Amino acid sequence: MQPPMRRRVALSLILSAIVALVLSANGAADFAFPLHANSVRLAVIGDFGTGDQPQADVARQMVKSRAVFPFQFVITVGDNIYTGSRPSDFEQDFAVPYKPLLDAGVPFYATLGNHDKTNERFYKPFNMNGSNYYAFKKGNVRFFALDSNYMDPKQRAWIETQLREAGTGDWKICFFHHPLYSSARYHGPDIDLRRVLEPLFVAYGVDVVLSGHDHVYERVRPQRGIYYFVEGASGSLRAGNLAPSAITAKGFDTDRTFMMIEIAGDDLHFQTTSRTGVAVDSGVIHRTIRPAPGGGTRE
Amino acid sequence: MSTTRRVGCRWVSGLVALALCVVPARVLAGQAAAPSKERADDAAAFREFSARMQEYVTLQKTVKSSLPALKSTDAPEMITAHQQLLARRIREARPNANAGDIFTPAACEAFRHASRSALQGPRSAGSRAYMQRGEADPAMRVAVNGVYPDTQPITAVSPALLASFPPLPVEVAYRIVGRTLIVIDVESRLIVDVARHIFPPA
Repeated sequence: MQPPMRRRVALSLILSAIVALVLSANGAADFAFPLHANSVRLAVIGDFGTGDQPQADVARQMVKSRAVFPFQFVITVGDNIYTGSRPSDFEQDFAVPYKPLLDAGVPFYATLGNHDKTNERFYKPFNMNGSNYYAFKKGNVRFFALDSNYMDPKQRAWIETQLREAGTGDWKICFFHHPLYSSARYHGPDIDLRRVLEPLFVAYGVDVVLSGHDHVYERVRPQRGIYYFVEGASGSLRAGNLAPSAITAKGFDTDRTFMMIEIAGDDLHFQTTSRTGVAVDSGVIHRTIRPAPGGGTRE
Repeated sequence: MSTTRRVGCRWVSGLVALALCVVPARVLAGQAAAPSKERADDAAAFREFSARMQEYVTLQKTVKSSLPALKSTDAPEMITAHQQLLARRIREARPNANAGDIFTPAACEAFRHASRSALQGPRSAGSRAYMQRGEADPAMRVAVNGVYPDTQPITAVSPALLASFPPLPVEVAYRIVGRTLIVIDVESRLIVDVARHIFPPA
């Protein structure tokens, strides 16, 4: 190879590498989940129960994505049914759009948003078993669903007990409606709620917190060692409402989105996909060792 | 100046100094007594509120025990039917319920004090703005024995408020509509009582 040719090849290789790096950093490149044999795989939706076309588009995209990433269940961060509490509202805002997933036996685990009626906890497909807040375990992950509309001392004591008794071996993921951190203009962070919950999350080693309420997608830089996501745009959207700030790791506010997560061992892989199927964010969170309450270290 | 006049001046100065010390001490003592009396009054009002609330819950449980229990169901019509039937039966069981039956005037005053102290300081404006942005319409009609409208969102109640209000049995919950505090029956969505002007104006 002649020297000028070698230079051209080398240059094009360097350019390709730069493009790949940029795409990867922006999360626009195709993201492959590892699909480990015993991993925990889920999807996350929030502020979705509008019963209109964009919600249906997201639901369709979820079905399409599940063909390549077979998530086992879905968690919701609230505002499940906007329109009311008539039987037809449950149908148009939930049962119809997600019918293919429900028919495929994909369970949903819901939390209540400010637009939800408390009696949704009795709706079997939401798996709340009549409780506003509850916990469940899948593989090496413990999930804690909270009712952020009403964080009274009783619920606060409950979550503290749950987190303490969960020990230190498993991932801990909390999900609820109102975000502790958010750079959206309309609502922003719920500071009062943060004052109550964040000290518990830090003390008992919560790894990830998923919320909604602001109708955008935002991944927040780790705050006191905890990863926060706002996924409040799976049906409703407040276009252009995100004002990226120092805490924003990645944001998207021009279309509806949903998240997919795979947890394998100490790695959590995530991808956020728009209703047109574009990966708008992706990455891997590796669990780090943090002090456990009462001394020692957390694995 | 003679010695007598100097002694007299010292006496006068001493009396003035004493007065300056004693009067504020008495004022301060009075001020200290007022909050302590206010606290005692508020505690008594909250006790009365909790007792009346418990009376309501006893009635609600009696009514509920005559209906089929609501369990998790795939059929939303069962949930709606239960809610409507429970609301109707409770309404029938307390047809003369009025605003203030549970939120007595003394209880309202105690809730005002508790709200003020829970949301006071630099955090107040932010907390209240957060609670009220895009939430329940402050102009929404709230009346005892009415149903909290399906189409209205709820306003998240600040944990600081919930920690300073009397705890409620699980059958009922606090809700905020503008400056008004209400208690709703959770399963029937019936408005149990209404206390107006609890929160300071925005």
